[in-house]
Amino acid sequence: MTDRIKEQLSTFLDGELPEPETALLLKRLERDDELRGALSRYSLIGAVLRGDGDVPAARQVAARVSAAIAREPARVASLLRLPAREALMRSVAGLAVAAGVAFGAVMLVQQVVETRSPDAVGAVIAQAAEPPIVPVSDVAEPEDEAAGSYVTPPATDAPGGLPQAELANYLVAHYGYASPLVRRSVGAGLISAPAGIAPAEGTGEEMRIGQ
Amino acid sequence: MTRRGGITLALCLAAAPVLADSGEEWLERMGDALSNASYVGEFITESTGRTEHLSIVHRVRDGIVSERLVSLSGNGRELVRENDEVVVYLPDQKLAIIERRAGRSDLMGSLPQFTGELSSWYKVDYVGREATIFGPTAVVAVRPLDGYRFGYRLWIDLDSHMPVRSDLSDAAGRVVERLQFTKLAFDRNIPDSAFEPSLDRSKLRWVRQTPQPEEGAPEWRAAKVPPGFRLSVSGMQAVAGTSVPVNHMVYTDGLASVSVFIHVPTPGKTPMHGSGRSGVASAFSTVVDGHQVTVVGEVPPRTLKFFAKGLRPAPGASTMARDRGD
Repeated sequence: MTDRIKEQLSTFLDGELPEPETALLLKRLERDDELRGALSRYSLIGAVLRGDGDVPAARQVAARVSAAIAREPARVASLLRLPAREALMRSVAGLAVAAGVAFGAVMLVQQVVETRSPDAVGAVIAQAAEPPIVPVSDVAEPEDEAAGSYVTPPATDAPGGLPQAELANYLVAHYGYASPLVRRSVGAGLISAPAGIAPAEGTGEEMRIGQ
Repeated sequence: MTRRGGITLALCLAAAPVLADSGEEWLERMGDALSNASYVGEFITESTGRTEHLSIVHRVRDGIVSERLVSLSGNGRELVRENDEVVVYLPDQKLAIIERRAGRSDLMGSLPQFTGELSSWYKVDYVGREATIFGPTAVVAVRPLDGYRFGYRLWIDLDSHMPVRSDLSDAAGRVVERLQFTKLAFDRNIPDSAFEPSLDRSKLRWVRQTPQPEEGAPEWRAAKVPPGFRLSVSGMQAVAGTSVPVNHMVYTDGLASVSVFIHVPTPGKTPMHGSGRSGVASAFSTVVDGHQVTVVGEVPPRTLKFFAKGLRPAPGASTMARDRGD
């Protein structure tokens, strides 16, 4: 995240970011996890530094995001050059962004409110400086990758994604074997997965049971 | 040293924390807490693309582990487990998936000892004390020694020994996922009702994924696996979405685990090729010698591909697929 974006965030939180820049920032928020996390944390830090540490402060930020999105759908649509239906979807996605911001900020502020410990406040502030989370697909490569030279029948690595329905079914089967350190995360992924998790219709009939 | 100095030193030593600050010892304490503690809480998982908020109820009573995870995102989804049975409720899909592994205790959640063979693949370090919203914690890093597995940074509560926060990271130390408790309360008397799903189960379609007979099942093996991984479980089972029993093999390095699923492609269904991800778990699906192969695990994607590419079917399995014309 560049210094310019940080400045934009800060200005936005102060309610002083010009409308055109607000639209661009919202667009960026929809696709940038790091930015959403930063917005949550910055808003929290602001509340903590002001000494209020109240949940309404966080909700105010979320409300500001929602209000900005409500004001901006046409502008966002024109910026994105999307047809009306897609523009509507974008604004729905924008509301999800606001919900996410609200959620992150509210949760963090709740932590501070519940503990009211100087150490805890320091810990929360320290989180703002933490490194971003990288995608699993970008993790460091093994240094001694040898599978490519193996002589068994080669696996086909075609582009495309594994359907969520199948992925969920296999994940349920794997869940019990996951490391205790990540089993909650695997479970969280299962019940938080997007729609389309159900098995494909017309298959697996013999495994269905009535209860 | 003067006599007064000696007394002072003795008093200081006597006042020192009873618990040693070795990473391995902290992990052992954490393992005990994970295996024995009963608690109610909420936590957040953060990874790229999503932040999830969930509640958890976890009880250990008379050796029986019960757990209920509820998504607080509003989709009504839940995961309820009692020992070796897991039920995933997906009310938005009007579906419940039951996974049962009779006679197995893998779900108890015990942590391995980070000594012996495991120390060849992970390095455990005590990092220091750090404040969290729950108070002071001991921070322990479990670093992978190659790129075939993930590492962990754990914030272990000094009193309860519970990991109140954990960061999953790659070999370069970059965080892939962060899990953080926001509420945590211990309760030895959690009632059974706390594990009842809060949805109308009568309206769900139930899918059971059960072990299947192994007679005549094709045999497969991974002729070459990533360093440190070994086969721990192998068997046949039903998997929703497939019309034939699936060969399920589990490989582990002692901490991370990988499931390999192999089956004859379902007639009329296009074989799957590609990758997927759900939280920290990744999946890779492809076709090997006429069979659908799907590898799932909480490891880097390249590790999954290594497994898929190292699989070798027994002659009978290949013949069966070819006879079907797949």
